[in-house]
Amino acid sequence: MTLYSYLIISSIIFTIGAYGIITQRSGIKILMCIELMLTAANINLVAFSSFNGNAAGQVFALFSIAIAAAEAGIGFAILVALFRVRDTINLDNINILRW
Amino acid sequence: MFGEISALIVLLPVLAFVLTLFLGKKLYSGGALLPIAAIAGSFIISLGTFLEIYPDGMVQQSWPWFAGMNIGILIDPLAVVMLMMVSFVSLLIHIYAVGYMAHDPAKPRYFAETSLFTAAMLSVILSDNILQFFISWELVGLCSFLLIGFWYHKPSAAAAAKKAFLVTRVGDVLFLAGIVLLYVNISEIIATRAFSIEPGNFILQFKTMFEAAKLIDPTQLTLITLLFFGGAVGKSGQFPLHGWLPDAMEGPTTVSALIHAATMVTAGVYLVARTFPMFVATPATISAGVPDALLIVAYVGGFTALFAATMGLVMNDIKRVLAYSTVSQLGYMMLALGTAGAVLGAKAVGISMFHLIAHAFFKALLFLCAGSVIHAMGTNDIREMGGLFGKMKITAITMLIAALALAGIGFPFAGLGMPILNIGTAGFFSKDAIIEGALEYGEVKGDMIPYGMAIIAALLTSIYIFRLWFMTFTGKPRSERHAHESPGVMTRPLMILAIFALLFGFSQAGFYGYVEKNFELMNVEIAVHEGEAFHPSPIIVMLPVIVGVLGILISYAIYNRRMLDMSKIISSGNPIYKLLLNRYYEPKLAADIIGVKLTHDVVAQSGEFIDRKIIDGLVIDNIIGKTVFQLGELVRKLQTGVVQNYASVTLLGLGLLIILLKIRFGGI
Repeated sequence: MTLYSYLIISSIIFTIGAYGIITQRSGIKILMCIELMLTAANINLVAFSSFNGNAAGQVFALFSIAIAAAEAGIGFAILVALFRVRDTINLDNINILRW
Repeated sequence: MFGEISALIVLLPVLAFVLTLFLGKKLYSGGALLPIAAIAGSFIISLGTFLEIYPDGMVQQSWPWFAGMNIGILIDPLAVVMLMMVSFVSLLIHIYAVGYMAHDPAKPRYFAETSLFTAAMLSVILSDNILQFFISWELVGLCSFLLIGFWYHKPSAAAAAKKAFLVTRVGDVLFLAGIVLLYVNISEIIATRAFSIEPGNFILQFKTMFEAAKLIDPTQLTLITLLFFGGAVGKSGQFPLHGWLPDAMEGPTTVSALIHAATMVTAGVYLVARTFPMFVATPATISAGVPDALLIVAYVGGFTALFAATMGLVMNDIKRVLAYSTVSQLGYMMLALGTAGAVLGAKAVGISMFHLIAHAFFKALLFLCAGSVIHAMGTNDIREMGGLFGKMKITAITMLIAALALAGIGFPFAGLGMPILNIGTAGFFSKDAIIEGALEYGEVKGDMIPYGMAIIAALLTSIYIFRLWFMTFTGKPRSERHAHESPGVMTRPLMILAIFALLFGFSQAGFYGYVEKNFELMNVEIAVHEGEAFHPSPIIVMLPVIVGVLGILISYAIYNRRMLDMSKIISSGNPIYKLLLNRYYEPKLAADIIGVKLTHDVVAQSGEFIDRKIIDGLVIDNIIGKTVFQLGELVRKLQTGVVQNYASVTLLGLGLLIILLKIRFGGI
């Protein structure tokens, strides 16, 4: 396995995530896609770290995972609260913050 | 040991403020125990510091801040007696409030705010420089605003809070102007090398200020001290900025007790006492041998003492009577600083501070007793009370003690040359000394007006406070309410305060000796105008007590024996009665002339005219505004509110960025 194979996998995951964010309507799916993109970045971090023999990147990835978890927690909490108020998590219906 | 941790005196109540605010709901009695414990801690540290530094030590700590300023602690005799009084009285009021506020749903907010209030006042007291003093002073103002408007859903309370904030703000602006002017002047004498700050000292520290005061241009010094005094006038409710204090009665009674006894109005007197060497150093141009600033302090104080006492005579709200009484007594303290300061020098600070602390004890007691009555009766109006003595014995007796102290009842054995101690209430010792100081000033400087004002005010004081007491506790009940004595958590603080109101006076000699040394310890010389030995005749010595007793008798005759039917005077539309009841039309004046006519009709209207017609109109029919508006119209459609659009644009931007970077730097 070369560095390239990791990078290719990571870019595939990233693209899936980006595609999902643009096309999906459900808030939960969009959050999941954001997690995918974060995972792609983490894979890159770990891959580079491993190939350069420098542990800093892996430590970085650990931090990033922890923060991603916190962020997902807040995101889902917002969605739950939103669902209680508006009875929907379809983002097309949640668009009053605009002109 | 206590000296080193003296910063905790302020920090403990601040900590209690934070904890109570956030956790109060879950704790016993709205978290009341946290501030009580914290303020008890402050009191213990203050007391320990006092025992450590007595008789001639000081605590000084200082940390550099910015631009030659510092943050510091200065605990000298003046500060330590104030610290002990404020923390002790505040502690008792907090304990009392557990009972008084028991039925209020917003207890955590109440206890958090009073805790911060106490912390701010303690911080005023132990500041070692005028800037830190001012910051704490403003914090005191903020807390008073929050607490006066504690029941903010009542429009009158919200209005009173606003009035208190705005009126004291007038004084605060003057005070700040004074500080700026002082800073400019000190910088100037430093620049001309006439003066230099010793290493380890800072520019706005009190000791630097006192040293520099001798070198500053005298006219400027008078201006600076008068600006400081303007701040004190606002905070201490002196004429003409006295209107907010009676209105401040809209808050809970315990807040009134805090404001009037411990944490707010005394700050103004303390400011003048603190910067006293500067007041003494002002030139004497108006009256020979009397520094201008002191003369003005004396006259404002004397006039306020008399003026407020006349209004106290006719108020029907139990707390309003007490509020005017506070204004009047603060006038006495200012009078003492002014008159005794001109003839006795540093001793005036002792005399004034002694009255301040004695007053704190008996005024806190009066307010807490009034609170106890209000708690029982559910009304503030003394016309609906009466005959409560049998039902509320503890409250009635402790309030009688406080009233005797306020009226200054006692017997001056020693003053008449008898070999016995003077015997009397705290107010007797403290007020007699003030009136005596005013008399000596009159004899030495040939100006008896302050003395006259003080004596007449003493008579009125005695009349209004016993009118209050007789109408509340004696006679027949005038309404059908069912009164009962308050619970122990409320009556015990009353008893403790009553003991102090009775016995504090006996510490007079020791207190004067200790506080007088204050400025010596700071190496500040205060010129004392030595006169020949002063021996007034016995009748003069007795006069304050005689008018005090006379006042009680007048009240007894009118309000208990009903020898004079006041209702006829009231109903006949007596012009003097109307003038007093309407408080010399001051609230009307403040609202109509300053509020509506000046602020709205003149300032706001002309501001609107300038903005609409000149600024908008002159720039070619508002062309700038319209252009900006239309540009905004053009681009605002970009905000669709659809998340996917934003995400796509972000990704597009990212892609473009990558491509541009590739073109610029090359690569794979």
